[in-house]
Amino acid sequence: MMKSRRLALRALAATGAAAFLGSCATNAPQDTWQPKGPNAKMIDDLQQPVFAVAGIIGIIVAAAVGFAIWRYKDRGQPIPEQTHGKPALEITLTVIPALILAVVGVFTFRVIFDLARTDDTQLVINVTGQQWWWEYDYPVQNEWGITQPIISSGQLVMPVGTKVLLRETSRDVIHSYWIPALNGKRDAVPGRVHTLRLEADAPGIYAGQCTEFCGLSHANMRMEAVALSNEDFAKWVAGQQAAYQPPAEGTLAKEGESVFLNQCVRCHQVEGLKRADGTLAIAAPDENVWSGAAPNLTKLMSRNTFAGAMFNLLRDACRDDVWRADSAEFGAKYLAGVDETCLNVNDLRAWLRNAPEVKPMYANPALLADTNGKYRGMPNLGLSESDIDKLVAYLLTLK
Amino acid sequence: MAIIERPAPGIIVPALPAGTPAITPSRTFGALKRPVASTGWKSWLFTVDHKKLGLMYGATAMFFFIVGGLEAVLIRLQLAAPEGKVLNADLYNQMFTMHATTMVFLFVMPMAAGFANYFVPLQIGARDVAFPRINAFGFWCLLAGGIVVNLAWFLGGAADGGWFMYAPNSGPVFSPSRGVDFWTLGLQIAGIASLTGAINLIVTVLNMRAPGMTLMKMPVFTWLITVVQFLLLFAIPVITVALFLLTFQRSFGAQFFDVAAGADPLLWQHLFWIFGHPEVYVLILPSFGIVSEVLPVFSRKPLFGYPFVVFSGAAIGFVGWGVWAHHMFASGLGPVSVAVFSVATMAIAVPTGVKIINWTLTMWGGKLVFSTAMKFSVGLIVLFTIGGLSGVTHSVAPSDTQQTDTYYIVAHFHYVLFGGAIFGLFSGFYYWWPKMFGKMLNERLGSWNFWFMVIGMNMTFGPMHILGLQGQPRRMYQWTEARAGEGFFNIAFWNLVASIGSLVLTFGILLFLINIVITARSKVRAPLDPWNARSLEWMTSSPPKEHNFDSIPHVHHLDEFFHRKYEEDPVTHTMREVATAEQVLAELERNADTNIHMPSPSYWPLVLAAGLPIVSLGILYSIPVAIAGGLVILYAVYGWALEPSVAVEGDYEEPSSNGHAVGTTHG
Repeated sequence: MMKSRRLALRALAATGAAAFLGSCATNAPQDTWQPKGPNAKMIDDLQQPVFAVAGIIGIIVAAAVGFAIWRYKDRGQPIPEQTHGKPALEITLTVIPALILAVVGVFTFRVIFDLARTDDTQLVINVTGQQWWWEYDYPVQNEWGITQPIISSGQLVMPVGTKVLLRETSRDVIHSYWIPALNGKRDAVPGRVHTLRLEADAPGIYAGQCTEFCGLSHANMRMEAVALSNEDFAKWVAGQQAAYQPPAEGTLAKEGESVFLNQCVRCHQVEGLKRADGTLAIAAPDENVWSGAAPNLTKLMSRNTFAGAMFNLLRDACRDDVWRADSAEFGAKYLAGVDETCLNVNDLRAWLRNAPEVKPMYANPALLADTNGKYRGMPNLGLSESDIDKLVAYLLTLK
Repeated sequence: MAIIERPAPGIIVPALPAGTPAITPSRTFGALKRPVASTGWKSWLFTVDHKKLGLMYGATAMFFFIVGGLEAVLIRLQLAAPEGKVLNADLYNQMFTMHATTMVFLFVMPMAAGFANYFVPLQIGARDVAFPRINAFGFWCLLAGGIVVNLAWFLGGAADGGWFMYAPNSGPVFSPSRGVDFWTLGLQIAGIASLTGAINLIVTVLNMRAPGMTLMKMPVFTWLITVVQFLLLFAIPVITVALFLLTFQRSFGAQFFDVAAGADPLLWQHLFWIFGHPEVYVLILPSFGIVSEVLPVFSRKPLFGYPFVVFSGAAIGFVGWGVWAHHMFASGLGPVSVAVFSVATMAIAVPTGVKIINWTLTMWGGKLVFSTAMKFSVGLIVLFTIGGLSGVTHSVAPSDTQQTDTYYIVAHFHYVLFGGAIFGLFSGFYYWWPKMFGKMLNERLGSWNFWFMVIGMNMTFGPMHILGLQGQPRRMYQWTEARAGEGFFNIAFWNLVASIGSLVLTFGILLFLINIVITARSKVRAPLDPWNARSLEWMTSSPPKEHNFDSIPHVHHLDEFFHRKYEEDPVTHTMREVATAEQVLAELERNADTNIHMPSPSYWPLVLAAGLPIVSLGILYSIPVAIAGGLVILYAVYGWALEPSVAVEGDYEEPSSNGHAVGTTHG
């Protein structure tokens, strides 16, 4: 009886350990215990011993309580002496945890100040939160080839091994920027600019999620940080700054361009897009959107996601191909962008057909009085299926 | 104001001007005659008796516990599988907001207030609280506040900004339904209950202790309740200010949190958490107090290190004011603030740890009896320790920036608040039920109740540690398979486990409700001293008489009741019984006070409290209604102020030989 029980326990322990070890490679993409950059590593190095000590203390307390339960259970022993405590023991048991915490405190101090450094920054990216997506704005930095500002969304693109400083703010409510593999989270607060250091060790995509409750689609406000080698990052910068290529005359995409000019350009900017009369099309989202902006779609098909990274622009197979590429191949695969064969056309069409239906937003025209007639999120534009065909063809040219 | 005891001869009762008619139940300067019913529903509606009010607090809190629990089950059903469809995003946001609001403000706080109301006067040997009418007013405010907060469900949707209600997301543009308005006004009203209750209990404890009961002979439950009242006294005004600012922002166009007008949204966070962190101790310390009563009783041994427990409780009360910004480590306060609050947070772990150590050492060397109350208390030690230790991991601020707003935090505070506060309250139910109702809760069913709750709670909240460390944020109405991962730690599996656990937990709580019904139907009376208890509340009948004690006991010891029953054997140092509980009680009855005066019931607390929700609804819908509510309040204040403070001779009751009041002169 005892023996079989012990065997069963051992089998259980072995299975548990195997499951534990075997699982590490495929943990959730937002696993907080797998740092992929020096900032997250600094946090991890600090917290692992704390977890260990906390675990040990927990086991000691549980064991002491368990022992007392077993040893001092009422077995008819007399009522014990009414002792009121032993001050010396009491003080000892107070001082020990205080000392442990003092040691933890010293190391914590160091990491807090190290993580707050901004004087070693190599690349600045302005990050702005808005219900329910993030805008990435790369100010002019000639040493990186950024000679005119790049405005993007959906994916944060950054060079590896580089000390990137995010300057965060928000246009409406408080959001929080969090890429667990690269650093802890930092709130983006309207009216304030907060900084967050990011640095990735290897090329790849690192998942994140808005972590300050920001309203209806808080759950759908995701992030992906894309780390590229320095050469690939330079190519990405050049691609983002490349001049606008209008679709060829007579194509479906050209018809889509005019649909875009009629419908979308009120809010969505595409740099270099011209109206039929040759004037530049300038979006004025602040007149139509409460929070004041809509995603800039200039090089939409260079990104892998849309609608606040809620949906993939790539079909699953193509997406997996990029996400699982090894470091050497990743850059080329990512920079290939989205083409017609890989486009996740279903989600994109559903979005164009009726955006608030697939992502909860306050775009209900009945509620516009609350916001002086301005939309929060993308409204249902009532596009016809043929307009959607044309728009999809046009959007595919935005590379 | 009520007189607790008849004035001793020689103390002069302020005389009324000559020619003033005597003030009797039927003649009053107020606009309404005094209520006189001592039985039936009227005796509850207009009561000022601390015991009745305690039970009313408890019943109200239990109702909201069920409401908040059902909200929690809906949340877990929604999250059991990816892309949950049980609730839509809007409803989900309302659900988690109201779950937290209900559990914090309408369950744990009033349940603790109920226990405090019932047992603090009994434990200090008093006949009522210092201000009985204000006590009644507090209860009605709580009920009115709870109703106002929940009315929103039926009037366009409940509050949807989270219980922390961060600005600017709580502003009129981002939360256009009326929910947040009902929330601010309802909590404002409920806050009055806490504030008046705090003043009342502080005065009671400082002024009305039985002769000989020095502060260091006071039971630990009363001590920690007193600490809680001081926390409330200073914390409630802060949330009151914050709620006023938000109400004015939403209803009258003020711009306190309007960023475009130059506001800094962090103002709300500071106000909220300066209230919110002491609030955490408001929630947990009453349960610490209950456990500190239960463990010595069932260990047959005094609390180990009583002064350390008391002073660590007071220390928590002080340091608790200096840690609020640990809720804001990711808010962008800057490294100096973060470092200071990080270390202060570590510091508060020390007095908390002292309590764990003392409880364990109380059991050490004892004679442990595992009643259901004891099981819940021991459960608290272990479960709270888990929550306390995970708390230490996020006192390390950089580590917290990975954990905050993930399920790891949800796991942490549910171990602290469910494993801590709620287990303590359940321990209190089983321990004090025979005192309150004269009947024992079924111990067998209690054991099932305990084990289902332990298993359910660990199944629900244990996996949340994994979910959070795997990066699942809180407050997301859906989670997606794409971010779930695979293998042992995959989010899909552990979410399902947590959801199943919530059903197990629900079943455990259902067993408790069944136990209440079975007990209520049973005819078996509880023995006078079922647990071999140690403190004064057991030195009277169960349930206690209206005037609590026939004669006020003189206190010589901490654990006075125990020392009246037992004496130490000088040779073996073990304890031997010298008197039974019945004998101790008979001794008190023999020396019964000849005249005992109890405060008379009053309409005014109820009328005054009823004016407040009318004002609230008026603010939201029509200002004339608010003015009408204001008139009700004025009328009640007028009546209250003029209600006789000194009752006539005819109001005095004679205690009978069996201790129960005989026919009162009120009829």
